[in-house]
Amino acid sequence: MLERTLVQTTGFHNHGPEGRRSGFEFRLRLPNYRGMRASLFDGVDVTVDGERFGFESNHYLVGGREYSLPALREAVDGRWPLGEAAVVRVPKAGGLAVGVHEITVGVRIRQPYIPIEFQPSVIVESRHATVVLP
Amino acid sequence: MSTVPFRYGVSLYSFTDDFGTVMTLDDACAAIADLGATGIEILGEAHVPGYPDPSPAWIDHWRALLQRHRLEPTNFGCWLDTRLTVTRNMTATEGAADLARDIRLAARLGFPFVRPKIGVVSFDLVPDPIWEEAVERCLELAERSNVVICPEIHAPTPIRHPVVDAYRRFIERTGTKHFRLLIDTGIFQDRPLPYMPGETPEMRRDFLNGIHVDPRDFLEVAPQVCFIQAKFHEIDTNLVDQQIPWEKIVPALKQARYGGYLSSEYEGERAPWKSLEQVRRQHALLRKLEREYDARQGA
Repeated sequence: MLERTLVQTTGFHNHGPEGRRSGFEFRLRLPNYRGMRASLFDGVDVTVDGERFGFESNHYLVGGREYSLPALREAVDGRWPLGEAAVVRVPKAGGLAVGVHEITVGVRIRQPYIPIEFQPSVIVESRHATVVLP
Repeated sequence: MSTVPFRYGVSLYSFTDDFGTVMTLDDACAAIADLGATGIEILGEAHVPGYPDPSPAWIDHWRALLQRHRLEPTNFGCWLDTRLTVTRNMTATEGAADLARDIRLAARLGFPFVRPKIGVVSFDLVPDPIWEEAVERCLELAERSNVVICPEIHAPTPIRHPVVDAYRRFIERTGTKHFRLLIDTGIFQDRPLPYMPGETPEMRRDFLNGIHVDPRDFLEVAPQVCFIQAKFHEIDTNLVDQQIPWEKIVPALKQARYGGYLSSEYEGERAPWKSLEQVRRQHALLRKLEREYDARQGA
């Protein structure tokens, strides 16, 4: 089962070899009561310790496939199952320091049964999470 | 005149945020059976792992759970996600294909009702016009599969509304027995929902204060209603519902001789396990009101 928080405790780590980190990633629970077509997921704004990483530039591993935002928006055949975490990959030269960070997500989802004036729905949540040396 | 008994069920929607974090399907089935309820309602794209193609092993497990807990499948929730991408809407052909896929899966899992939640094209929730062709193309399949397709009448859409009129005209025009209405009892809400954290009066959308549909309006559409989602948000320790006037709804359903399911849809605070207790309170309240009504009729 997944943790209750949107950002999961496990899976928060840097990318790339030590000394040449290219970014970081974390696992994310879907903030919805149902799974969705991947094209209805519209990316995640990420803020770590006050530094913002916009939803347009992040990459998303959904249902085992990696997407850029433009690819995600066209992914009508992909699905994000409710019981599976997606992985959000954030480019950041140098990665994150080892230790505890405050991470905030703004998860953007589109619900066609809600009037377009209120879309996308953006679900915001913050937590502390820890990067461990590999 | 004798009364027609309600049937009691629970939608797994009630357990949103608990399901998959602190509750398994096995836990949920056991909790529903412990209420003495007989019906289980699910959302396909939430509660079926591997949706839309669950493994044969999971289907075996599902059937074993139903048997062990003496539960019957009731309604299978699905979606016509008409705003398919940021730039493109679904065609009627695509909508029919998605609905057909869900009818087949629902029938395989034993569900008699399939509720498509249809994308909207306006502020007042007019469904995308593709619904009519998409549904009509699926009527034969629904008939072969012993499934009734039932869009839900949900706040802020009341019973007396052009959207409902269009669904009723569709039933009359096609003569089908496989398209009916599903009523969500949120339309009868007559007191406001509590404010969400961070919500201000300026942000409040009117319908969250309740759209106050008169429960007696149900009598007008009763012959075309096949299922009721018993939406609620908070029932206190004295079994008083804080938003939904069950003491008016139950007599109206009884007068209409509604004998289908009341399927609990808890939509209140998502504190872990709170949903379990709230659903129990709703079943205690509804059964008490049904008993009292029957006693009055017998007297």
